[in-house]
Amino acid sequence: MTEIIAEMLRVAIIAGVIFAGILAILIWVKDQTKKISYLRLFIQIAAVPVIFLGLIIGPFGLSQFPPVGNAPRDALVGTEILGASFPDGLSVPLLACYYPSGRTVTCPIWQIQTYIFPFWSTGLGFGWGVYYANTGLERLAIVFGLVIVMSIVLGRFFCGWICPFGLYMDLMIRLRKTFKKGYWKLSERVNIGLRQLRYVIIAAFLILSFVFGTQAIIGLQLVPGTQSGEYVYDYYSAPFCQICPMKPLSVLTESALGFMDPTSVFSQNTGLLSEAGYYVTSLNVSVLALVTIGALAFRRFWCRICPLGGLISIFNRFPPFKWVSGVRLNKIEEKCTKCGICKRVCPPQVTEVYEEKGGDVTSPACILCFRCVEMCPYEDCLEIRVAGKPIYNSRNWLEGLK
Amino acid sequence: MATKFEGNVKAIPEMPPKEIEEIRSSMESVSRKVIAENIERMKKTWPNRPKTMQYFDEISNFFGQRLEDIRAQKEAGKKIVAYSCMFAPIELILAAGAIPVRIDSGWYDAAKLGDKIVPVEVCPVIRSAIGTQMVNLSPYLELSDAVIIPLTCDGRTKLSEILRDDRTVWTMCPPRIKDSPESRKLWVEEVKAVKKKIEDLTGTEITGKRLRSAIELTQKATKAIRRLQEIRKGNPVIMGRDAMLVNQTSMWDDLKKWMQKTEELCDELENRIEQKNWACSPDTPRVMVTGTPMIWPDNWKIPNLIEESNPQGVIVVDELCSGDRLLYDPVGVDEWTMSDMIDAVADRYTLASTCPCFTSEHGNEDRINWLLDRIKEYRVDGVIYYVLRGCILYAMEYARIKRILDRMNVPIYYLDTEYTREDVGQMKTRVEAFLEMLETRVALKPVN
Amino acid sequence: MIAAGIDIGTQSAKVAILKDGEVLSRSLALCGFDPKEAAGQAFKEALKNAKLSFEKVEHITATGAGAAKAPYSHSTISMMGADAQAGAYFFSSARTVIDVGAEEARAVSCDENGNMLNFVLNSRCAAGAGTFIEAMARALEVELEELGPLSLKAEKASPINASCVIFSESDVVSLIHRQEPKPEIARAIYDAMADRISSMAHRLGIKPHIVLVGGVAKDVGFVTSLKRKLGTELLIPEDPVFAGSVGAALTASKRIR
Repeated sequence: MTEIIAEMLRVAIIAGVIFAGILAILIWVKDQTKKISYLRLFIQIAAVPVIFLGLIIGPFGLSQFPPVGNAPRDALVGTEILGASFPDGLSVPLLACYYPSGRTVTCPIWQIQTYIFPFWSTGLGFGWGVYYANTGLERLAIVFGLVIVMSIVLGRFFCGWICPFGLYMDLMIRLRKTFKKGYWKLSERVNIGLRQLRYVIIAAFLILSFVFGTQAIIGLQLVPGTQSGEYVYDYYSAPFCQICPMKPLSVLTESALGFMDPTSVFSQNTGLLSEAGYYVTSLNVSVLALVTIGALAFRRFWCRICPLGGLISIFNRFPPFKWVSGVRLNKIEEKCTKCGICKRVCPPQVTEVYEEKGGDVTSPACILCFRCVEMCPYEDCLEIRVAGKPIYNSRNWLEGLK
Repeated sequence: MATKFEGNVKAIPEMPPKEIEEIRSSMESVSRKVIAENIERMKKTWPNRPKTMQYFDEISNFFGQRLEDIRAQKEAGKKIVAYSCMFAPIELILAAGAIPVRIDSGWYDAAKLGDKIVPVEVCPVIRSAIGTQMVNLSPYLELSDAVIIPLTCDGRTKLSEILRDDRTVWTMCPPRIKDSPESRKLWVEEVKAVKKKIEDLTGTEITGKRLRSAIELTQKATKAIRRLQEIRKGNPVIMGRDAMLVNQTSMWDDLKKWMQKTEELCDELENRIEQKNWACSPDTPRVMVTGTPMIWPDNWKIPNLIEESNPQGVIVVDELCSGDRLLYDPVGVDEWTMSDMIDAVADRYTLASTCPCFTSEHGNEDRINWLLDRIKEYRVDGVIYYVLRGCILYAMEYARIKRILDRMNVPIYYLDTEYTREDVGQMKTRVEAFLEMLETRVALKPVN
Repeated sequence: MIAAGIDIGTQSAKVAILKDGEVLSRSLALCGFDPKEAAGQAFKEALKNAKLSFEKVEHITATGAGAAKAPYSHSTISMMGADAQAGAYFFSSARTVIDVGAEEARAVSCDENGNMLNFVLNSRCAAGAGTFIEAMARALEVELEELGPLSLKAEKASPINASCVIFSESDVVSLIHRQEPKPEIARAIYDAMADRISSMAHRLGIKPHIVLVGGVAKDVGFVTSLKRKLGTELLIPEDPVFAGSVGAALTASKRIR
């Protein structure tokens, strides 16, 4: 009993600190060109303990502090509540990763890949050591359902304000700034090409996932080693995760901080690029290194090709979803003098805000960081609209200059 | 230009120094008279003019205290960089510790002199600039160490060649299509090239820190002028000509001092708003002037007419590169790194500009949006579209703008004139009739 | 209510006196070298014709190029405003007023109350005004009053340069030397002028009905050419040269408070 109260106290303290922080920023930051940026940074940082809440409070009834786990479901918050119907964690469209312990949520990409096969059977999962109470089809429906709802309500707001990999991207920007180095820009054509690439990646990993599971699905082994229980089968069931940069980032960070046992992390690693390890492969680490260097040169580099971002945009950009989506950017045509500041300050180099004449200017590549709204020097030109109502306008930030 | 036959052949023929000095000093005394007269006229229209305006009156004198200040600073070793047209990036000049002065010419008599060198069809501002060069009339131009001329129009392109005969001229090539990726690349390179030239001239490196403080200074100047412009949105607490004078003096004044004085003026005006101390009756027809530059002192002809005629009008806002457009757009810097600052400075002078010398993929809709927004915000009753004869760019944009304003039922009148005092009578007829028309419309408007 | 309007043009000064909004008397005097004197004379004459004394006049409004030289006036109004008032007064259906004076031509839009809604001017040079006709009459060696009827005899117009008075004058001389028939030359002169006036009016945007005023409105040759050019009828008041002064007087009566 006391443990439960202690847990609830910890949660309350965290919530209180976050709330106080938000209030402090709203009240004390006078520089209009930085207010939203500070608020966003704060919420991004605050989101990290919330996403990895299991490292602080653990599942109900079990004290996990100090936590040392090794399996993805160690210290997973909500396992006890959701039980067998959803033991892998809720899918929230954040690149929060399935593999580290102590998470509250799970990356929907992992879930989509793994739930794809064999979606018709129930019973003990293949290689995931868990009993699922619902069929694969039901699990897929829940994942997609959650992702669609959240995409509609918040869209790429997740990307700009909550995603921990987004925080990593922003920290790279700050690191570069401390060395007073400038950033590079991709040409517009390349940028647009990368946007299309996202959908190609989504399609690719879905197809690969299917290909590696043909033995189980249609009884035909297309790739050697994909028999149930085989090496390739166990580890290539989630092909995208073998190249995702978030996996090594989160797992290695947790190992370094002592939340995961490093020896067991690395003992399951074959170390060969061509063979999968359970937690971290050389391929993962290379991609992470490339993306990090890319993020130092180009702002929000990963976000331009993130397939999860692509997934959210699909459910946010096209007409039926577009009309009900929650957070959108709006521009009033006569106020815009086409000064180009919004285009220049945009981290993922979105140009729609500048180019569209007026009205709804939300773009599928926009991560809703609102830097453009912050930096627009003309009163009431750009607006942030939540559920159709404007909640924040661009303003004459010159007034805040001393 | 050197030719193999005669050596250096200049565009302006040699004149005996005595003649030059005669003409120059007579033009100077005319100019002093005109400056004093204009100020008297402004005082007459607005007897209750704020005390702070005295500062701007003094700065408006080209041959007065400001000239002495600049001379003293030059003797102490500072460099003076003049520029023609507002596209020259003054942030770079300030960052190198030099003094920026704009030398677009507003002298009528100089235009007559310029007629001897170039045909009458050429823009009067250019002819006037040539005239001042002929007789060394412009004191700031004489003191300058280099002149930056952005080649925004044909006239300026050739003016740069004429000035080059006797001065150091740095030309910059602004792209005609202002927002394509190729043109942005070009313009950034031009800005960087000019930066290097300024650094070489002054011997000071433009570091990130220096550039940052220069940008912050111009941002504060923008803040001050925006404050003044906000004040003009309400009932007229300042007459248009005085506001235009405040705007223009920033072209050659010490920006820091100018900014402080403008803030002081705004404080005083805000007091007057509370006391309802209007400069003229609140139902005076509110006029917006848009078009080619109106440069002090001689080219105050039209504003004088508007605000002194019967019925009187008041200029509440203008779209002139010698007026409200000068400092309106700030340099918006994202990360204070050198490359971003240069990008931001480059963008501010092209993308934000509404000058018709540009076009973009969507035409010059920036200017149209700017005008429409101002008409709404400042409750403009009528627009005077002012074109100096010879400016094809402004003249050609009239057709579209007229149709748009006709659709919105906002009266617009095309006024074309020259650098001459002779057509004051004709201009008066037109301006008076236009103001009568506005007065009628204001009276006919349904009362809310 | 007695109101008066003084119109000081470049050639003559005209005065109109109104009582309760109706024209009581009018008078004209040539300006010569002293427009002020001429205006004073015309005013005295008009008062005499109206059998009124000076003190009875409650408000005087001046208009025209020399409005500032009016010997007495309480207010001024632009020629355009006066034209609009006069047009609507003379013809209630008037919506466009074209005023061709000695040196300047104007076109004005008005509403039924005589409010001036828009205007356009043509005064870059004198080839669209009365002085043009005078110069042409001299070149043809014909009396001014005869030029109009002469032109009506022509079936077509000879080609002349219509861009500048000076050039047109020498054109006319050479046409005479070539033995071109005078009526055709006369018609060409009026056509050229009508062309100018009509394009000025089109810049304004013509709304029927169109009223023609000013000294030149009495010239039958010009009126015929203009009607042909515009393709519409023209309403011409009885004494078109007094339109300005009547309009000014109407303005004056509105300003009596």
